[in-house]
Amino acid sequence: MSALPSYAFGTARFRASDLIRGILVLPRNAVLAFLVVYRAVISPLYGDVCRYYPSCSAYAVGAVQQHGAVWGTILSAWRILRCNPWSKGGVDDVRPHAHFHYELTPHGFVVPARKD
Amino acid sequence: MGLDLLLASTPSPAAGNGGGFDLFSILLWPFKWIVEAILVAWHWLFTAFGMAPNAGLTWVLSIVGLVIVIRAAVFPLFVKQIKSQRKMMEIAPQLKKVQEKYKGKRDQLSREAMSRETMALYKKHGTTPVSSCLPMLVQMPFLLGMFYTLRDVGDHAKHGIGGVGLLHADLTKQFYDATLFGVAPLHIDLRTALETKPAGWEVTVTILVVLVILMIVSQFYTQLQIISKNLSPEAKTGQAYQMQKIMLYVLPLGFIFSGVFFPLGVVLYWFVSNLWTMGQQFLVIREMPTPGSDAARAREERLARRGKAINAEGKIVPIAVYEAEQQRLLEEAERAKEQAPKREQPMSKKRAKKKGSN
Repeated sequence: MSALPSYAFGTARFRASDLIRGILVLPRNAVLAFLVVYRAVISPLYGDVCRYYPSCSAYAVGAVQQHGAVWGTILSAWRILRCNPWSKGGVDDVRPHAHFHYELTPHGFVVPARKD
Repeated sequence: MGLDLLLASTPSPAAGNGGGFDLFSILLWPFKWIVEAILVAWHWLFTAFGMAPNAGLTWVLSIVGLVIVIRAAVFPLFVKQIKSQRKMMEIAPQLKKVQEKYKGKRDQLSREAMSRETMALYKKHGTTPVSSCLPMLVQMPFLLGMFYTLRDVGDHAKHGIGGVGLLHADLTKQFYDATLFGVAPLHIDLRTALETKPAGWEVTVTILVVLVILMIVSQFYTQLQIISKNLSPEAKTGQAYQMQKIMLYVLPLGFIFSGVFFPLGVVLYWFVSNLWTMGQQFLVIREMPTPGSDAARAREERLARRGKAINAEGKIVPIAVYEAEQQRLLEEAERAKEQAPKREQPMSKKRAKKKGSN
């Protein structure tokens, strides 16, 4: 499993008081949960195959965190299409969302930002 | 390789869907169509040569043909990747520099920085040791299509219907009737054979058990060859290497699952596919080994015994030519060294003073 870039995780924690506000980020966290399991269980079977840094699955984590379940998935699909035998590869980071107002946990899940 | 096992671990959804339209089967439809077309084309060819259309051997050979077509289709990509690995030799010194820089640093930030520098280096030189993600994902629906096509033959024949395309009802029936050695039907799996005990079930069970054992052995052997012979010293240090070593023992066990739950036709497909992988890997380790690996050293020794060597461009040349080239390279290096301005050992002020006073 390739390393997640440092912008894909943080130090925030989910607090019970955020339960209602947390509904907004539920879809992207569901996709992120799938990605966490995929990266832990299935990625190692393939070994290192990706031509980019961050790897396609790590890119997907960043894209879904920043842009949500739908647009993040579209960005990730486009990235996988670009990761073909004719591409040059290299460093290719997720473009951060212009107004990202959430926080990240150490495992890369998205939680509402603290108001204080 | 790994994909077969991924497949083996997916629970087979909806065993008896007579023709239901869910999103999954719609997405899989074109892949199933292609797989059926290849299968039917081989079957047509073998019957044109006078083989019985409902004989086990005809269908087994058609399955072998299917493996050949699918594996041959991805073969150019495989060769491209191997060739790209050759070019890695040229950037080995720079790569080593990056690795030295982050030696022993295991924290996340260092690993990230190292990956970034390595990837930038690959891009700059237009080479990479890895294949890329898209082919991995494209193979998946083909394997699923193959799996469902072969598996559904039993259900379809019972309902008197055909597949999604060229494998029409008559051909499905012929496939269903086909038996290996005259007793082992291609549509039966181990569990069903043990439960219903049709005539000659002992043979069916024996074939399946033998195939599963052969699959486990071939998978294990292939992986062992890669790990023990075809890895560069750098590849043997990382975390991925530890994972590969564990997978070496865990993955082959997935075939036990496939041997119990999947019909003989599917098991045969995997077995032939495994043999292909083994042969391909054998050739690669022998003729195109990873630079710096044990296999590469063994190949150099084999060539030396025949009075040949590999020159700077990676081509095989007679040893005399090789030595001349080495001599020339050495001379060039020495000339370059002479021409380069000599670097003087810097001296501290204190020491310079001391030296002056002597």
